[in-house]
Amino acid sequence: MEKVLLKNIDNPDSADIGEYRKAGGYRSLPKALELEPKAIIEEVKKAGLRGRGGAGFPVAMKWTFASSDPKFPKYLLCNADEGEPGTFKDRPILEKNPHLLIEGMIISGYTLKAEYGYIYLRGEYPEAKHILDKAIAQAYENGFLGEKIAGKDVRFHLAVHQGAGAYICGEETALIESLEGDRGQPRIKPPFPVNVGAFSMPTVVNNVETLSNLPYIIEIGGEAYSKIGSPDCPGPKLYCVSGHIEKPGVYELPMGTILKDIIYTHCGGIKGGGKLKAVIPGGISTPVLPPDKLDCPMDFVNMPKHGSMLGSGAVIVMDESVCLVKVCYRALKFFEHESCGKCTPCREGTGWLRSILGRIEDGSGVDGDIELLLSVSGNIMGKTFCPLGDGAASVVQNFIKHFRPEFEDHIKNAGCSLKN
Amino acid sequence: MITVNINGKDIKLEKAVTVLEAARSAGIKIPTLCYHEQLEKYGGCRLCLVEVEKMPRLQTACTLISADGMVIRTETEQLAEVRRGILEFLLINHPLDCPYCDKAGECELQDLVEKYGTAKGRYMEKKRTVPESLEDPVIVRNMGRCIACTRCVRMCEGVQGASAIAVINRGGHSHIEPFSGGRYDCEYCGNCVSVCPVGAIMSRLHRHSYRPWQVKENIETVCPYCGVGCTVILQVRDDVIKRVVPRIGSVVNNGMLCSRGRFGYEFVGNRERLTSPLIKKNGVFEEATWEEAISLVANRLKEARDGYGGAAVAGIASPRCTNEDNFIFQKFMRVVLGTNNIDSSARTGYAGAQSFIENISGQGATANIIAGLSNSDVVLVTGGDPTTVNPILGLQIRSCAGKGGNILTVGHVRGLRHFNPAELRPALFTETLLLEGILHSLKNTKELPGSNPKFEAKIRELNISPEDIIKTCGVSEEDFNGFLKKLSGAANPAIVIGKELIQSIGSSYKLFLVLAINYLINGRVYLLSERANEQGLIDMGCTPDSLPGCRPVAYAEFRRRYETAWKTTIPDKPGLSIFEMMDSAGSGALKAMYIMGENPLFNLPESHASEAALKNLDFLVVQDIFLTETGKLADVVLPSLGWSEKEGTFTNMERRIQRLRKAVYRDGMEDWKILSEVAKNMGVKFNYADAEEIFNEISRVSPLHRDLTYNEIEKGNALYPYKGEPLRGVMEDIVSHKGDRLDAGDKLYLGLERPLFHSGTLSTKASALLHIYPEAVATISPSTAEKFSLKPGDKVRVTTGAGSLSLPVAVDDAVHGSLVMITNNFEGKGAFALIKYIADPVTKAPVIEGIEVHLEKDGTV
Repeated sequence: MEKVLLKNIDNPDSADIGEYRKAGGYRSLPKALELEPKAIIEEVKKAGLRGRGGAGFPVAMKWTFASSDPKFPKYLLCNADEGEPGTFKDRPILEKNPHLLIEGMIISGYTLKAEYGYIYLRGEYPEAKHILDKAIAQAYENGFLGEKIAGKDVRFHLAVHQGAGAYICGEETALIESLEGDRGQPRIKPPFPVNVGAFSMPTVVNNVETLSNLPYIIEIGGEAYSKIGSPDCPGPKLYCVSGHIEKPGVYELPMGTILKDIIYTHCGGIKGGGKLKAVIPGGISTPVLPPDKLDCPMDFVNMPKHGSMLGSGAVIVMDESVCLVKVCYRALKFFEHESCGKCTPCREGTGWLRSILGRIEDGSGVDGDIELLLSVSGNIMGKTFCPLGDGAASVVQNFIKHFRPEFEDHIKNAGCSLKN
Repeated sequence: MITVNINGKDIKLEKAVTVLEAARSAGIKIPTLCYHEQLEKYGGCRLCLVEVEKMPRLQTACTLISADGMVIRTETEQLAEVRRGILEFLLINHPLDCPYCDKAGECELQDLVEKYGTAKGRYMEKKRTVPESLEDPVIVRNMGRCIACTRCVRMCEGVQGASAIAVINRGGHSHIEPFSGGRYDCEYCGNCVSVCPVGAIMSRLHRHSYRPWQVKENIETVCPYCGVGCTVILQVRDDVIKRVVPRIGSVVNNGMLCSRGRFGYEFVGNRERLTSPLIKKNGVFEEATWEEAISLVANRLKEARDGYGGAAVAGIASPRCTNEDNFIFQKFMRVVLGTNNIDSSARTGYAGAQSFIENISGQGATANIIAGLSNSDVVLVTGGDPTTVNPILGLQIRSCAGKGGNILTVGHVRGLRHFNPAELRPALFTETLLLEGILHSLKNTKELPGSNPKFEAKIRELNISPEDIIKTCGVSEEDFNGFLKKLSGAANPAIVIGKELIQSIGSSYKLFLVLAINYLINGRVYLLSERANEQGLIDMGCTPDSLPGCRPVAYAEFRRRYETAWKTTIPDKPGLSIFEMMDSAGSGALKAMYIMGENPLFNLPESHASEAALKNLDFLVVQDIFLTETGKLADVVLPSLGWSEKEGTFTNMERRIQRLRKAVYRDGMEDWKILSEVAKNMGVKFNYADAEEIFNEISRVSPLHRDLTYNEIEKGNALYPYKGEPLRGVMEDIVSHKGDRLDAGDKLYLGLERPLFHSGTLSTKASALLHIYPEAVATISPSTAEKFSLKPGDKVRVTTGAGSLSLPVAVDDAVHGSLVMITNNFEGKGAFALIKYIADPVTKAPVIEGIEVHLEKDGTV
């Protein structure tokens, strides 16, 4: 497959506007500006583009909601708060191909009649901040941003806003709160951001990867785009593979590539010829899979049928040397640390789960702890304000579901057998 | 009309309210913790999760808006399980210290656990602990008990508008901290205390002193502090007020209180309260029996009256006393002593300003509903900070800003600075010029409406030359134009007038200008009132020139009405004002005075002159709850019952008449009762069994209170004129006095600080308020501090032409560089001691502006 999102990234100067243009960049923009915004939404609809942040919401639908709200100004926010553990798929775009994102945002802004855009960038990407600032300055200099874009009566302003290190700010309403200068906590929905978002105005929040697909959709048309990958959710997809793998990295493959193929064909298999123990297919919040369940197409539609989710496409590969109780403990430590504290089950429950897992891992677990873990995670699941708590509960439930003997062993033998 | 079905019951709804509200309207209880009816929705505690058909997830009833046909279940086995789970989560870190937590018995968490929770704990780890904080004088924090519902934060930020506290840290470490660090250092309204569902934020006043279930009575009454007249509930046990709380739904303050109202109640139980009548013998007070004291007072007053005539006696009434007390007071003065020499401290601003306004705009022009301020689109504030003088009224202005209204201020209004005010800060002594400029520009854009020809004629006569107004006032043209644009575009404006304007140079002329501006924009006027029954005492006829119902004494037909009712003759000439009384006492023309619940030595300018004057009297009787500076000069001191010890009514600045109720028993007599006893000893029978009987007489004789009864007042919304008519058709000539504009130069001038935490005698006898604001200070700007090499805490001697005070220094960057701010609250340290009595010739209000101050470091104190 032709590289779309990672096009030209082997060029050391790929982030420069000149190199981007040489490689064909900023050619979709004038083409898009010739179209009516409605026609662009129609193309996106035909393309079948779904949000790449993890939820897979149809982009055209979100855009239609925001477009039909009569309030102005509207805002376009790029969610670059890539915080899901295991995820680094947006990073090459931000650092190596920033103009692709910027071009995508200008097209999207024009489509939505949004004249202001922000890239909400995770605080832990300082290099990307520097690169994006430079790229935005270049885009202004070249007349792609600002007033009268490409000589047309179109304006779009873009700025980077750095987060301060909160996972929850990847949730779109918490992102908006944080952008506005408030404490990063999710808001009550409805109203949804498409109607009442940033500064109480209609707002579209899209992921970096999602927005970066726009120039290509304009270039080849929605129809052609929809032929790439899975018919139900087409397009190119970035998979970031890490852990015990021969060739870790970010891979651009057609949506729906089989998980097993990603691991064994594209990434060269398990590191050092080791034995696979478990795979988390879409970032830490997605259900873990045992080695016999990897024949699943990695897309939004099929993964749930196979007991997991595509999430952010962050494949974490673990071999036999890994203690899964410890992984589970470490994941819960993360969720406890990142829980915003707004709702009771997540605020109190994640810490409780972490402490039970901690005592199992260090050998002081007691009989009934597994049932307690399931009961506590059951009291979180489905009762939280936002999906963060559900994610935490689901990690515990799925690790126990697939690897219960390992937990039992820890309790029985008062500790981890892998430690020795 | 939509219909939802909850637990099998169809509920019809006028509009799409939340499921929680729909359920409550049908008497279905859904447990909640983070929800509070006064606050913005949050959806955090998750206790109100309910099952909704066709929705895959459980939904929070407090946030879900009901839709037609929605089928909801609130009590199922699944939900019981969910609630048990949530409560278990809340309890894993919440300390189980209920046996000594003051919240126990009224703790929402405790009640819910009792109803839904599990009996057995499964949590084996250590609980999170946060040490108790006693950093604040009136609030105690136990953040270990915090359940992060954020009700306090939403109250502080969204309703009180103070934004003093916030959630810090995240996840399980979330708890509430003041922005200022360890201390709240806030407005200390305590509204966070009201909404905290657990024992995390509580009042320190009753810490470990009683249990909620030991409260025997909840007495609903009126706050004793300012003219807003908030509803307060006194929780009483064994004749001691344990706590003061607001009531949600009360018409004036709807669940809100300020620091004085909530924490200032302790003065009634202060040990310094007078307990026995005192008679001065050879310059020393001796305790006396009531019979002895009353017969002495009666005899001495009789001597003065019979020897020198009614004109030689005078009385000062009290804005702290009830309508009934004040009515009897003026009746006593007029009927028993035959004089119109009746006045009060309202003369220092409120009374004169109100007469001036009513003469132009009609009686009741200032009687506007306080809550209406929040629905205005523009509120113009002049003459001080409403958020400190009348804090609950101030909240309505903040609420107006919150709803998108524009706040305009002339001068810097500190309590509104976070509410995006359009602010014009005229240079010292140029406020008149600025108001002229505003009026002049408004006249260019607005037609005079023609409804008040006499006033219009006066407005037309004004000779304003607009040149250089902006420059002289030192405001920017952009600010001025922006201000004016908002003002002239207002559809539903209100103007708030504070005492700083009334007590400034040329105050009557300034009032005239403000009224003219108000006339052009068709606004409503709010006159701030510092005392709880300042309005009531005027209505009761405790002024030298008017009878009850504000009927001028100079008009025979009004006089006759009362003469018939009281079977007496009322002098036809207005009596002496409070200032004239002091002059007359000083000159010896006045022989005897009766002072009820007032401390003129402290509350009038030129204390030294007042002191000499009162000493010059043949006889002075002071009736009060404390032995004040004035009381110390008296021949006889009579102790009276205080605010929470008697029945009666107060009239607030809206002219809402509200019931004051007896909450605690104390040995003694009400002010009206003491007066009746004195009257009886002078041969005039005042036969009143109780306060209600007096009120019934008021409603018979005062046209403004016609037919009003305690029963009607109980129902609420007794605003006057109640079935009666306001006074019309008597419009005196409009006279105002402009005064000379001073040249500020680089001198220092006296400013009167009106702090949120004090308002005179009562607040300084309330230990909680003293803890917040313990002593008189001289507050200066950083530039003045630098110039005089002063730092906070240094002593300075502040000297004016009238007197001198030694005070500690406070430095505040909100203070004008040319002003030295001093309060008039602390005995022996009052700002009024530094003021010579110069009055506006029209309103007779003292001028507290342009008084030069000499500042020097004082090493001796």
